[in-house]
Amino acid sequence: MYTDRLLIIFIIGTYLLSPAIIQWWSDGGQSWFRPFLVWFALIGVSYWIARSRDFDGL
Amino acid sequence: MGYSFYQLFAITVGYLLFLFFVAWATDRGMLPSRLVRHPAIYVLSLGVYCSAWAIYGAVGYAHLYGYNYMAYFLGISGAFLLAPILLAPILRLTTTYQLSSLADLFAFRFRSRTVGALTTLIMIACMLPLLALQIKAVAESMEILSGASDPAYVAGLFCILITLFAILFGARHATAREKHEGLVVAIATESLIKIIAFGAVALIGLFGVFDGPEGLNTWLVEHPEMLARLYYPLQDGSWHSLVMAFFVSAVVMPHMFHMAFTENLNPRALITASWAVPLIFLIMAICVPLILWASLKVQVTTPADYFALGLTQHIGGQASLLAYIAGLAGASGILIVATLALSSMALNHLVLPMRRVQHSDNLYRWLLWVRRILIAATLLLAYLFYLWSGHRHSLTELGVLSFVATLQFVPGLIGTLFWPGANRNGLFVGLVAGFIIWLFALVLPMLVPSWQLPLALDLLGVRFDAPEEQWQTVALFSVAVNGILFSFFSMVTNTSAEERNAAESCAVDSLRRPYRWELEATCVEDFIHSLIEPLGPTTAEREVELSLRDLNLGRNETRPYALRRLRDQLETNLSGLLGPSVAHQMVDDHLPYKPHDEDQSSEDIQFIESRLELYRNRLSGLAAELDSLRRFHRQTLLELPMGVISLGADAEIIGWNLAMETLTGISGRRMIGSRLSNLPAPWRHLLLDFASGDVPRLPQQSLEIGSQTRWLSLHKSHVHGPTPGERDGGQVVVIEDITDIRSLESRLAHNERLASIGRLAAGVAHEIGNPVTAIACLTQNLGLADDANEIRDSSQQILEQTRRISRIVESLVTFSHSGGLPSHSHLPVTMHDVIDEAIALLQLDPDRRYQKTFNECDHSLIANGDPQRLLQVFVNLLTNAADANPDMTPVFIRGKQHEQTIVIEVEDAGLGIPEELRHTLFEPFVTSKAPGRGTGLGLALVYSIIEDHGGSISIDSPISDNRGTRFTIELPAYVEAVAE
Repeated sequence: MYTDRLLIIFIIGTYLLSPAIIQWWSDGGQSWFRPFLVWFALIGVSYWIARSRDFDGL
Repeated sequence: MGYSFYQLFAITVGYLLFLFFVAWATDRGMLPSRLVRHPAIYVLSLGVYCSAWAIYGAVGYAHLYGYNYMAYFLGISGAFLLAPILLAPILRLTTTYQLSSLADLFAFRFRSRTVGALTTLIMIACMLPLLALQIKAVAESMEILSGASDPAYVAGLFCILITLFAILFGARHATAREKHEGLVVAIATESLIKIIAFGAVALIGLFGVFDGPEGLNTWLVEHPEMLARLYYPLQDGSWHSLVMAFFVSAVVMPHMFHMAFTENLNPRALITASWAVPLIFLIMAICVPLILWASLKVQVTTPADYFALGLTQHIGGQASLLAYIAGLAGASGILIVATLALSSMALNHLVLPMRRVQHSDNLYRWLLWVRRILIAATLLLAYLFYLWSGHRHSLTELGVLSFVATLQFVPGLIGTLFWPGANRNGLFVGLVAGFIIWLFALVLPMLVPSWQLPLALDLLGVRFDAPEEQWQTVALFSVAVNGILFSFFSMVTNTSAEERNAAESCAVDSLRRPYRWELEATCVEDFIHSLIEPLGPTTAEREVELSLRDLNLGRNETRPYALRRLRDQLETNLSGLLGPSVAHQMVDDHLPYKPHDEDQSSEDIQFIESRLELYRNRLSGLAAELDSLRRFHRQTLLELPMGVISLGADAEIIGWNLAMETLTGISGRRMIGSRLSNLPAPWRHLLLDFASGDVPRLPQQSLEIGSQTRWLSLHKSHVHGPTPGERDGGQVVVIEDITDIRSLESRLAHNERLASIGRLAAGVAHEIGNPVTAIACLTQNLGLADDANEIRDSSQQILEQTRRISRIVESLVTFSHSGGLPSHSHLPVTMHDVIDEAIALLQLDPDRRYQKTFNECDHSLIANGDPQRLLQVFVNLLTNAADANPDMTPVFIRGKQHEQTIVIEVEDAGLGIPEELRHTLFEPFVTSKAPGRGTGLGLALVYSIIEDHGGSISIDSPISDNRGTRFTIELPAYVEAVAE
């Protein structure tokens, strides 16, 4: 019911954290694949959510 | 290895024919349905996002702007990671209301043709650079590989091929309700090909140039500037705008909207897409730096946009074909799907609203041909745009133009999903303002070098000296202006009730509150007849049949609720055929509601309930608690052991519980949404008369059902609407089946009569004994008599004695008889005669025969009732009076008429009624007599009979000196009108 709030929190949270994320990313040096690992971890979380929750109405 | 132009052209044709075959085989059912509807096919079809810009332009962008290239892939990944929250509501809307594009969605939500047309025009404008980019990418890649000198000619041929393919497989059905399975599978195949080909090019770079990951690491250590060039642009601050632009474009761009929502064959596949789409784009994104670094190491000579081609050319062999196929797959996919989507938008929002649909039988064919022409026109426009600007600009520049333009739809989309207060005026002003800024501050400066910026912008300090470098400023500025104007005008201008209603149905987690308005059409045939004028007879018939099938309704449907649903479904289906604006107008014009007052309408509770049932698992927190409460109350009402009917103000049945189903044998599913007048006999007359009458209750109502008589007790109450403005006048009718109680009462009454007869038996024997003795004597005398006169006298006396016996027997029979008259007949009853009869009966009882009873009722007092049952009343009352009167003081019965009421008082001067019994005296088995003297049923029966007659009974005891009891009975007086 409160998914819109979740979305707003997610977007604002991502926006606020983005300078720190970009700084961390820029400090990667030779670990150029660092963002891809984070990306992959996010996909893992999304896969876990999709498996564990029943999305009604779809 | 080089390729000639003809070889490449043949490869292109061959590739498109292969796709043609895949689509054809799918449409012919050669692929199993399970595979076609598998989530993997849906996920791969979303790879249409990966256009030639991803294959070629992303490498060029990474070369110029470092890691910023990832925004393209991260944007769509973010959109799909949030799919259950962000995309699922859009999918629900597009599926429910047959909306096939963003323009459809906006036109439906804002109830405006203008908004639909404006969205279409802006969408076409913003897609032209992206489509031109695809044409340019294919033409230039052929030029690079073959050395052909006229890319415009190549591009033209390519456009013709794509037009044919798009028409053949994308525009075969006129309506959006038909999914293009062949197209979906073909696009999925294309995505698979480009992912494999692009990955293969990256692997060739990694292993062919660097000898594997170790070699790459060593090279990067030796060339730290390569990594620095990737990291450095991250600091310039454009990251946010980039991700946002690509995030939005993944949802609103017509090709994405078409594949994600319109062609969705399996809604649950969206959940799989939430992780699988980001995975595909992660793989694609990793390939980009590998191709870039490998190209830089071998120093390819092609422009950075075409490094993939240059690298594979450098490696040699057939490798360059892989890069070409990847680019071709990316370009053809988006060109086909985007032109299909744009043609639908143009048809629904530009052509149909302007040109009145001819009501011919060939509507479907006409629509199909217009769509085909629009597909060709769209591709022609893209080609002309390419000819005009394509040569001078890089893939990156063209791509940026489109992606920034799509941002203009962000405020509208957010308003559609999350802000029911947004209105069409706000959207219109915001879109126009954003579009103008995009056009004048980005498009014209970039494409027309001679264009001078308006002075006003210059004065505001917004400078776009190098628009391709500062596009993020334009993006943010245009979206900010758009959003502010959208919000401002939405707040200060009025929103129509119709728009508010549509807004409620679009808003996430909101439940539309439809009103129960009455349609002018009263049956399905009326629907067809009304739609013949705009659609033609064949189309009208077919669309109504399809809608009936969608709703699982029969052709003979007449329930108002079902007809309202049919109207909604027709609008939805016509929306898939003609677009929401035209469909809405058509349904409004030809299937109108009866005139109504919007502020005083009842909500369609049945529809709201069905929606709540559908979405109940989505509710959480307070909403879930309220829903549980609702279900509890509903279940209580449903399973109440009495029949309950809820009626709307217009007598439409909105509730019919299980007890009603048992009682009537008519299911709630059949009755809900219909009217009482649709009920079968004999219920129709009973309930219609009761619901429309003034009497709030019918305590005893007989109903002949088949060969059985059922006794019912009916009550009704008016229901007031929950909100002050809402029309009240709805009713709730409660029906109790009292047949069993009546039967029990009859048995009790019969038993009571038998008990009375038992008590009277001794008196009867005595009464009959005397005349019998007299007859015996007379008969003896008769034997000895010889005089004719004496014989005649004796015979007369014998006859007299026999008549006396007959009278006694007749009295007893009358009292004990339960049949004779129809049950509970209402006849004129002379109270004096009934009371006399009761006294006569009482005289038969040896214990009570000496009780003096005075009948002071006038012969003029005539009640309306059942004489036998009233006789029972007075026998019981007089028996009680005699029993409570050991001194044998006289009992008086007096009567009078007060208006339409007969009042009878039975008064004794006996012992009176003990105080503890007074309140329970009329309950069964309550008695003050000694054990064995009374059953305790007498007064209960009296009460029941008087109630049945619509009368009342009361007691005064003691009357004076702690003695005496007075029963006062009120009965309706007999009048001619009542009898009739």
